[in-house]
Amino acid sequence: MLLGLLRFIRGYVSFTVSGKYPERFLNITSRNRIRLWNVQRKGDGFDGCMYRADYLKIRKLARGSGVRLRVTAKSGLPSYVVRYKDRVGVMIGACAFLLTVFVMSLFIWSIDITGLDRVSRVEMQEELREQGLYIGAFKPSLDYQRIARNILLENHDVGWMAVNVTGSYASVEIKEEAPAPEVENVYAPCNIKAKSDGVILRIEALEGTTEITEGSGVIEGQLLVSGVMGDEQGTSRLVHAQARVLARTTHEASFSISEKQNRLIPNGETAERQSAELFGLRLPYRFGRVDSPYAAVDLYTDAPAPLGITLPIGVATEKVSALTYEETELDDNSAKELLMKQSQLYELFSLSDCTVEGRETELSHQDGVYTLKVTYTCAEDIAYSELIGTDENTDLTRYVNPTEPEKEQ
Amino acid sequence: MMPRENTHEKKKRNPLLPVMNAPCIELSGNREILVEGSKGVLEYTAETVRVNTQGMILTICGRELNLRCISDSALMIDGFITSLSFTV
Repeated sequence: MLLGLLRFIRGYVSFTVSGKYPERFLNITSRNRIRLWNVQRKGDGFDGCMYRADYLKIRKLARGSGVRLRVTAKSGLPSYVVRYKDRVGVMIGACAFLLTVFVMSLFIWSIDITGLDRVSRVEMQEELREQGLYIGAFKPSLDYQRIARNILLENHDVGWMAVNVTGSYASVEIKEEAPAPEVENVYAPCNIKAKSDGVILRIEALEGTTEITEGSGVIEGQLLVSGVMGDEQGTSRLVHAQARVLARTTHEASFSISEKQNRLIPNGETAERQSAELFGLRLPYRFGRVDSPYAAVDLYTDAPAPLGITLPIGVATEKVSALTYEETELDDNSAKELLMKQSQLYELFSLSDCTVEGRETELSHQDGVYTLKVTYTCAEDIAYSELIGTDENTDLTRYVNPTEPEKEQ
Repeated sequence: MMPRENTHEKKKRNPLLPVMNAPCIELSGNREILVEGSKGVLEYTAETVRVNTQGMILTICGRELNLRCISDSALMIDGFITSLSFTV
């Protein structure tokens, strides 16, 4: 293959030799250090190939050997150059194409980040940009190992990272750091107490003496399961009490909103802007504007991604919606609707550990302010552990059975 | 006691000496032959190739013999080689 490439670059001719003694021609060429290949006997002569430059030298020699030499084909790069000699534009275009491909291959045109879970993609893109890896980055100036090392040092959520570049496509593989699990000291003697008031629904005691019964009411801080266990002989031992105590509890929350609302509302005026994204450059070609000083903008980019690789070209569209300030006065229904949305958010974030069984709402209107008071009835685990001891420095671990044998020094 | 051979006689008997001027012939099965040290092609047909080497003529017989490559001191022939003979 390499030989074929060399022959193509130097250019070669296919020729036919005919005459009485074609062997003489072979010997003359070899004596003059002219290489022939693919020599095949044909009738009273033979066919063969030789370099284009050699052919110019051989004509005189062929005449002396008494054979007739005829070229059947010219091949290789010099033939193409001669053929397109008058078409300068084609040559310039071909050279420009090759140059463009070469220059373009020196830049990063697509970045793919995989393995993200807790770390946001935008945050990681920003960190990569700070380290010099972005769409349009000059490839020879990048040190991929340094990029990965610096991000590992700066971002503690990233446990492992690799930057692989194939051509102009950069693939960033990330494994996030696994958070260390909380290790509970299962040998420390403790009681289980109630973290809020409630009515006990179910007790699942794994260790310890249960001090309450199902259906009984408890108050915050009351002992539910004791870590002191007695036996028939009257002796006591300390244990690490473990239990799950499900109780019905109530939570109250109030949400307020002013009667008069000054809000930005879309006034119906919209516009669309479009721009072509080309290798990191954004070239706007469609301009739209709204008269209002306030506007909401939705931006989305449509970029082709064949075989899962996003190309550095695309169309970015911005949808602009004009907004105007509007003072509205809430009525009872709209105020309640807004306050209920706030209460739903409260449920979602503050009562995430509870199962909400019911809710009672009470809307009041006083001094231009609407207030919604919500009482939630929940089922939740109210157990929490409290170490047994006179103060926090007291260590009673050695009194707990089974005890771990002390390690010999 | 055996008579000692002189150094001149030793040189004459060196078995490598005749090989030094001989062509180097390399065969790949019966499909390809490389002859290094050729001094010219005496005859070339599709069935016979006679090659002049130093001190002898190598005759290669076969079918569809092609000179795949020929240079000033070596040639490579491919085809279906049926016999080789040397004329000293």
